[in-house]
Amino acid sequence: MSNESKRTRHALNRRDFLKVSSGCMAGVAGVPMLSVSSPALGATPTSAYPVMEVARLSELKPGTTIPFAYPGPSSPALLMRLPEAARDGVGKDSTIVAFSILCTHKGCPVSYKAEQGMLICPCHWSTFDPAKGGDLIIGQASSSLPRIELRIEGDKVQAVGVEGLIYGHHTNIL
Amino acid sequence: MRNTPPLPPVKARRYTTVCQFCVVGCGYKVYKWPQGRDGGPKAANNAFGLDFTRPQPPMAGEWIAPNMHTQVVDRDGSRHNVVIVPDRACVVNKGLSSVRGAGLAQTLYSPERATRARLTQPLLDQGDGQKPVGWDEASDLGARVLKAIIDRWGPDAVGMKFFDHGGGGGGFENNWAVGRFFFTGVGTRTASIHNRPAYNSEVHAAGDAGLVPLTNSYLDAQLADTILVVGANPYETQTNYFLEHMVPNLNGTSMGLKQATFDGEPVDRGRMIIVDPRRTMTVATAETAAGRDRVLHLQIEPGTDIALLNAIGRLVLEYRWHDVAFMRERTEWQTFEAFQRSTLAVDRPLEQMLEDAVRVTGVTREQIETAARWIAEPKAPGIRRRTLLHYEKGLIWGLKNYQNIAAIVGLGLLTGNVGKPGTGISRLGGHQEAYVRPPYPGRRPALNVDEAVRRGEVKAFWVGGCNPVLTTLRAEALEQSLVERGEPVRRALAATRGRPAGQRIPAIVDALKAGGMFLIAQDIYPTATTRHAHLVLSAAQWGEMNLTSINGERRLRLYERFMDPPGEAIPDWAIMARFAHRLRELYLQDRNPLAANRFLDFDWKSDEDVFIDARYQFKGTNTDPMEGYAGITYDLLRKLGTDGIQTPTRLVNRIPVGTVRMHEDGHFYTSTGKARFIPAPRPWPGYAAKVESQRKRYRFWINNGRVNHLWQTLYHHRYLPFYQGRYPMPCLEMHPEDATELGIGPGDRVEISNDMGKVEAMAYPSDAVKRGHTFLLFGQPRGAAGNLVPDHVDPKTTIPSYKQAWADVKRLGPPPEDVKGVSFRPRNVAS
Ligand code: SF4
Ligand code: FES
Repeated sequence: MSNESKRTRHALNRRDFLKVSSGCMAGVAGVPMLSVSSPALGATPTSAYPVMEVARLSELKPGTTIPFAYPGPSSPALLMRLPEAARDGVGKDSTIVAFSILCTHKGCPVSYKAEQGMLICPCHWSTFDPAKGGDLIIGQASSSLPRIELRIEGDKVQAVGVEGLIYGHHTNIL
Repeated sequence: MRNTPPLPPVKARRYTTVCQFCVVGCGYKVYKWPQGRDGGPKAANNAFGLDFTRPQPPMAGEWIAPNMHTQVVDRDGSRHNVVIVPDRACVVNKGLSSVRGAGLAQTLYSPERATRARLTQPLLDQGDGQKPVGWDEASDLGARVLKAIIDRWGPDAVGMKFFDHGGGGGGFENNWAVGRFFFTGVGTRTASIHNRPAYNSEVHAAGDAGLVPLTNSYLDAQLADTILVVGANPYETQTNYFLEHMVPNLNGTSMGLKQATFDGEPVDRGRMIIVDPRRTMTVATAETAAGRDRVLHLQIEPGTDIALLNAIGRLVLEYRWHDVAFMRERTEWQTFEAFQRSTLAVDRPLEQMLEDAVRVTGVTREQIETAARWIAEPKAPGIRRRTLLHYEKGLIWGLKNYQNIAAIVGLGLLTGNVGKPGTGISRLGGHQEAYVRPPYPGRRPALNVDEAVRRGEVKAFWVGGCNPVLTTLRAEALEQSLVERGEPVRRALAATRGRPAGQRIPAIVDALKAGGMFLIAQDIYPTATTRHAHLVLSAAQWGEMNLTSINGERRLRLYERFMDPPGEAIPDWAIMARFAHRLRELYLQDRNPLAANRFLDFDWKSDEDVFIDARYQFKGTNTDPMEGYAGITYDLLRKLGTDGIQTPTRLVNRIPVGTVRMHEDGHFYTSTGKARFIPAPRPWPGYAAKVESQRKRYRFWINNGRVNHLWQTLYHHRYLPFYQGRYPMPCLEMHPEDATELGIGPGDRVEISNDMGKVEAMAYPSDAVKRGHTFLLFGQPRGAAGNLVPDHVDPKTTIPSYKQAWADVKRLGPPPEDVKGVSFRPRNVAS
């Protein structure tokens, strides 16, 4: 297995692990904990994912969105500075996030509706919450929107990895 | 879990199946191969024959989403990858998955994932908790207890509440075996169906009118001029029927099909009327697909659908848009006379009746007019509009089951909308169907089993594949009786521990005499109900046996077995057969051949044996005309794949031929062969006394039902992080102004309580509901909506009014830890 796919696995395991461990323990007696031995977490890029500058921090006013492609040209993504702090957001106020815009149902491009604060797919109307890690609000996708991991280096906002599998890919870097 | 799903190799074993969840029954393909033998991205190296070195295109592409893959271990210890993807060749879903179906692979048993919680062997509680026992011991003790009860108290002292499902919960095979065991074997009338207190149809009125519950084909939703949806939310709960068949009509994609089908008839994009107290995602998506001017959302007050439907019917009559030719030819005219006088109140001035309807329903006069026009105004002189009338639990579990259903059937007959392309009067359905059983030995209205349990008349209660502690009405009271009445039996089991089963029976009978009740629970997981059981029986699930079911358009398919059940779990039919064998032996030992012979003919060797046995005995006659399956074998179904064949089938030159649309020959299942209108005393019956007293006393109406992500009681989904994480608790949608008034914010813990019981939930402020209305997720293990539902049933049908509970709501505190990550953005925005 490549580093890249290991990384995807770990990142997702971490997310699922958090959900399960906090999600059902309280109410479900006897649900076994998923055994995940502290995987390598954090946004340190591995060699497989490119480091790519996406924006200048100083130019990212609240409400700004910047389309880009990551980790390759066939993977369109969107960077957003949200009006509120987001799960895994970067920047001083944790408002900067980026996601693959390929809907994890059938791959149509989602678009950001600032007014509702959600990403909506025009094909079968899956909706995703950018402030909650791209989680599915309602709809027919079966995973959250893949989150582009960001890092701030001085004034640079850089894409450094992907958490989740991008639509149409069996591995994020083909 | 591995999140870069491997590609199936060319040599992967392939199986055909159908989603185990909702009534739509989407086709899926299963690929299974030994671990370590993955396919490759080049087209020549994977089972799809597709090039995965490049990204797959949107819509047309084949993508294995992470939740579509898992790893399983068979009984011989061999480890395999399993990938389950939607089938493009299936006429139902055409390659589309829903959020639920895309997670099918995750529901499989794995010792390495949370689904290891499955029941893997029988358990017996002898006073110190449920402990594993062998099948022989379990069936010997269980059969002896049942026999003692039947001999002393008669068969009705054996109560049952069992799945009546197709899909994951049952199938023709398991339903047949359960029916054989309880109806022709035990002979009990104390029977009830998974979600309700009795053994009855949910649509008796449709049956009495001569209609089957599922009249149309999904294709008809592409052909209709207007689709009427009453008390249902198909985007969330009949997803791919909505997306693949209704939406193409709304957005005009099916225009070509309409033109080709209705040569010379004016056709246009479809319209939709949605009767629902909530502005759901169905309303939002229908508006986006069709344009707001072609969708009519009638946001009624609780339980007033019937007043609305009857007002529409009255207008249709008034404008002379009713289908006189159809009614003369196909209905018993005198029943129409009675219907128009009482149900449609033709002797009262129109204005008065409409004013009443407007006042009661909260819908405007214009909206009622528009609805009548869209349903029945001729498209051109002499050319009738084709309207497809659909309804589900909002109507079935609404105010008065019998009259509600009679009202929508009446409207359909009045407008001639059944048995023709683009029409139908049908349930949308919840789960898939597999009603294949010997006839219920009781009468109508069926016996209320929940009450019989509470009153102590039931001495053994066998619950199979359902979880009444979460879902029945007045659920707290039922659980209370399971606890209290279970205790004496548990003491008797403890006191006789270690003795041969035969010697334990007198002590158990003494406990039963003293008010005890022996609880047998048969399921695939431990549940809120199984935890109270003395004897727990571990069943196989979907994918672990071959099973057959029909979907909402009566499409019969084979759901192939592709893995072993975990541990010693066996199919439900095999459990019933084990108990039948043992009972037969015990009665023969007793020299009672008459009783013994009731348990004859359970010698099935395979899933298909049961299927064929049922085929010969279940004729699909006038009482159950929908599901007869003459001439069908597993082999034929294998050939027919995910398209299957629509029941009922008949043999033409010994070849089975299916039925696309029911009543197309003009025949209805009444003594005259004509359909009947079922008159009600008046257009709107008002609330039942028990319901009315709650309504007066409490501030909020507690509507309740399902959400898109989840299936039933979350028996699988509670173990699957993606699904459980979205609703770690039941959500309570309430209007933002109501929430603010009570100091309640998104995710706050709230308590909902009334005279029946209470439930804890997470608040989900939403403008989907009107002020004073709420919507509670049903069947969530951490909060049983059933706790709030009064024990009122329609006396004509013994069907509860699950949707008719009122309660108060108060804030308990801030969002619990596991709710903090949950999104509370609106669930009804599509553009
Ligand atoms: S729509 Fe229903 S049957 Fe189809 S995939 Fe979804 S849950 Fe399964
Ligand atoms: S492709 Fe996005 S919802 Fe179907």
